[in-house]
Amino acid sequence: MATTAAASAPSLSASRSQTRALSASWVLYAVLVSSIAIVVGLIWDISWHRTVGRDTFWTLPHVLEQLAAIVTGFSCGWLVLHTTWAGTPEARAASVRFWGFRGPFGAWVCIWGTLMMITSAPFDNWWHGAYGLDVKIVSPPHIVLLIGMAGIQLGAMLLALTAQNLAPDRSAARAGLLYATAGAVLVTMGGTAMMEYAGFPNDTHNALFYQVTAGVFPVLLIGTARAGRLRWPATTTALLYMGIILVMSWILQLFPATAKLAPIYNPVTHMVPPPFPLLLVIPAVGLDLLLRWWGPRRDWRLALMAGPLFVGLMLIHWWWAEFLISPHARNWFFGADQWDYSLRLGKWRYQFWNLDKDAAGVWSPRLFFKGLAIATGIGFASARLGLWWGNWMQRVRR
Amino acid sequence: MNRTRALVAIGVTALLSSAHVGSPDTWFEGMAGPYPVRVVIRAPGVVPGLSEITIRVSGGGVHRVTATPVIWNTGAGGIPPADEAKPVPGDPELYSVQLWFMRVSSYSVHVTVEGDKGTGTVQVPFQAVATRQLPLDRPLQIALSIAGLVLFAGAVTLIGAATRESVLPPGEEPDRRRRILSLVAMVASAIVLGLGVIGGRAWWNSVEAEYRETMYRPFAAKATVAASSGGPTLDFEILDSVWRARGWTPLIPDHGKLMHLFLVRDSLGEGWAHLHPVALDSNRFETRIPALPAGHYRIYADIVHESGFAQTLLASADLTGEATPRGWSPTDGDDSWLVARANEAVGAGGAVKLGDGSTMTWETSATKVDPKVDAGLRFKVMEPDGKPAQLEAYMGMEGHAIVERSDGKVFAHLHPMGTAAMASQLSFEVRQPGDTGRGNVGRTLTSEPDLMSAAMMHEGEPGVVEFPYAFPQSGTYRVWVQVKIGGRVQTGLFQLNVP
Repeated sequence: MATTAAASAPSLSASRSQTRALSASWVLYAVLVSSIAIVVGLIWDISWHRTVGRDTFWTLPHVLEQLAAIVTGFSCGWLVLHTTWAGTPEARAASVRFWGFRGPFGAWVCIWGTLMMITSAPFDNWWHGAYGLDVKIVSPPHIVLLIGMAGIQLGAMLLALTAQNLAPDRSAARAGLLYATAGAVLVTMGGTAMMEYAGFPNDTHNALFYQVTAGVFPVLLIGTARAGRLRWPATTTALLYMGIILVMSWILQLFPATAKLAPIYNPVTHMVPPPFPLLLVIPAVGLDLLLRWWGPRRDWRLALMAGPLFVGLMLIHWWWAEFLISPHARNWFFGADQWDYSLRLGKWRYQFWNLDKDAAGVWSPRLFFKGLAIATGIGFASARLGLWWGNWMQRVRR
Repeated sequence: MNRTRALVAIGVTALLSSAHVGSPDTWFEGMAGPYPVRVVIRAPGVVPGLSEITIRVSGGGVHRVTATPVIWNTGAGGIPPADEAKPVPGDPELYSVQLWFMRVSSYSVHVTVEGDKGTGTVQVPFQAVATRQLPLDRPLQIALSIAGLVLFAGAVTLIGAATRESVLPPGEEPDRRRRILSLVAMVASAIVLGLGVIGGRAWWNSVEAEYRETMYRPFAAKATVAASSGGPTLDFEILDSVWRARGWTPLIPDHGKLMHLFLVRDSLGEGWAHLHPVALDSNRFETRIPALPAGHYRIYADIVHESGFAQTLLASADLTGEATPRGWSPTDGDDSWLVARANEAVGAGGAVKLGDGSTMTWETSATKVDPKVDAGLRFKVMEPDGKPAQLEAYMGMEGHAIVERSDGKVFAHLHPMGTAAMASQLSFEVRQPGDTGRGNVGRTLTSEPDLMSAAMMHEGEPGVVEFPYAFPQSGTYRVWVQVKIGGRVQTGLFQLNVP
């Protein structure tokens, strides 16, 4: 079913010099760093809105995101122009055609993502004028922006992937780590984008949490893992995701900051960190083992197993969240119980939200488990998509 | 294009239903300690939204001017750090700053002036409500459409390239099968992306519908005219379900009255009244109707909530022109009315004769009054003997001015302090940190009836009353200016066209 890296070994050896050039290309590193900068900027921006509130086009997180998009656009644009008009025959041979130009596929995806981000700016600005500042993550102009950001991150993954897939065995580990890092950035984007629905520990006792996570993560983790060369690709990606969130959380909390917009119901003194990352490493280990045991050619059965396995292992959050909302987690390490300046603090901080209740307003195990069953179905679909995507990525050579 | 037209139409409709009726900006004149200030708050039209604030400080010796938006029910801890207003180049007395209003609520903007005479602060009431919707103007529409098309075509091309070439070893050309596969993938992706665009449009439309629901509308109300042996009466009833369910803070008296009700005959006809109904309960108000000509009347009812939020409720009624019986007296001693048609020639710069023979002159050097700029509403009243009239306090004010556009889409009740209701400002000033219960501020205001009159009468040029205001849109306007001379209320009527 899938063409493995080994199957294309003859072509691989023929283009080793060019491959080394690509894997060491400054463009790959520039795009990867930009990709990380975008997700760092996004987490910082959300923290800014929760802490300081005052919004301009020129806030530091915005500048970081825009700078990253500019670096990506220019470096990939240069790569395309250079490949088209001044590229070596090897470089041209390792490119794809696009409206008369030639360049690596990942560069094209990055350029598309940059254009998407640029388009979102006037759209978002008009949106603020028409409907007011949308102080939330999921809104139409923000989705345009997030898709653009994800495009850059996917492009970074594809550039790293090409390097990995064409790399000789001895340098595959380095290229694989670059690829896993790019994948982790995309997973972090996914986790951050759905923060309003499944980011806080208080969400973990409702079925929606499991449905949202089952929709977002299996496709990303399995897709990334199927094409990865590391021994534990999904696990590595999940650990890197958790690392990015944790480092951001630990750093942000160190910076003093106060709210600058009314009303201030919660006078914060330091930057509000993101909630503690999801324990994605646990389902990721399960998915890695599943991918090893079942291997390729049995993808439908694998997806059927992956859905319930992911949801089942994610249930660890049911108990983990009880710790996170307890007094034991209210410290710098776990960063718990830190809330927006504009929220009136109350008991809701230590309660579970959006519980699956029946008509009488009582928590209904039947509704919850029905929701979990739906989450399992979503997980299956997400896993199957991830396998298709991963199989294709496994074969990407340009 | 249809969408743009629809948005324009919605925008116009929205503007008509804003607080003060079509006149959303706040104009304020007062004292920040020892410093005379004129503050203009341009309504952002949306919430959360960014507002432009200009502050004119007269007299010089100013070192620093700041402004802070404060929601009515947050304590001292809820106040953000002040924003410094920057001097406007070319005008040494003018300062400007932008402020965010994040919630739909009643705000006071704290304007603080630091200078040679020390530091002074004044609170300017402002209501942050969503009142307008922006049309997607044509250049932006074209730019976004082009960008959207390029991105759509780019995404489809990427899918095609992904299936056609991306998985081929370097140098290998795609075969026929792969080209066909690529074509199929491009068609399929175009369908999926097209569905995504349709879904996005539906999402946008739902956001728009939701936004329209949250736009400000005054309470629904109705007016009923009834005949009685004591003459015709008008019953004004608030129908809003949230109000009736005690979902709003209670009303507080403005100039000592819970409601200021204006009857304005339409079609620029003669017949106008400024009445003060009595409250029968929290929803119903009643007043006797003076002798006004028969016709269709627009009704504007001004109320102020304890939160400082002021509203103008709208209704209409047909009067039969019934004469008042012998011995008739108004419901409230401060009720006033005028039966006169405006002389179209008497606009800005013109003069009118008042009921007692005095002359009221609109003093302005401007040849025309433009929308959105200071209208220069300065009126001088001269007694028949040519001396400046001695203006007395009429409900605690040197004067009241009522502005209405001929179609009723703009209405404002002005005072020398501007567009803000006096009670709004007082509610902010008397509110203590512990005033969290309903009714506390209202009790303070009613227990100190002199508070309002003491606050507002001030020394100025004899016989002169000024109203800071700008006509928000073009159109034909009438302006009723009310002053009190010798214990009697006199009303001057002016009419003008704002181009």
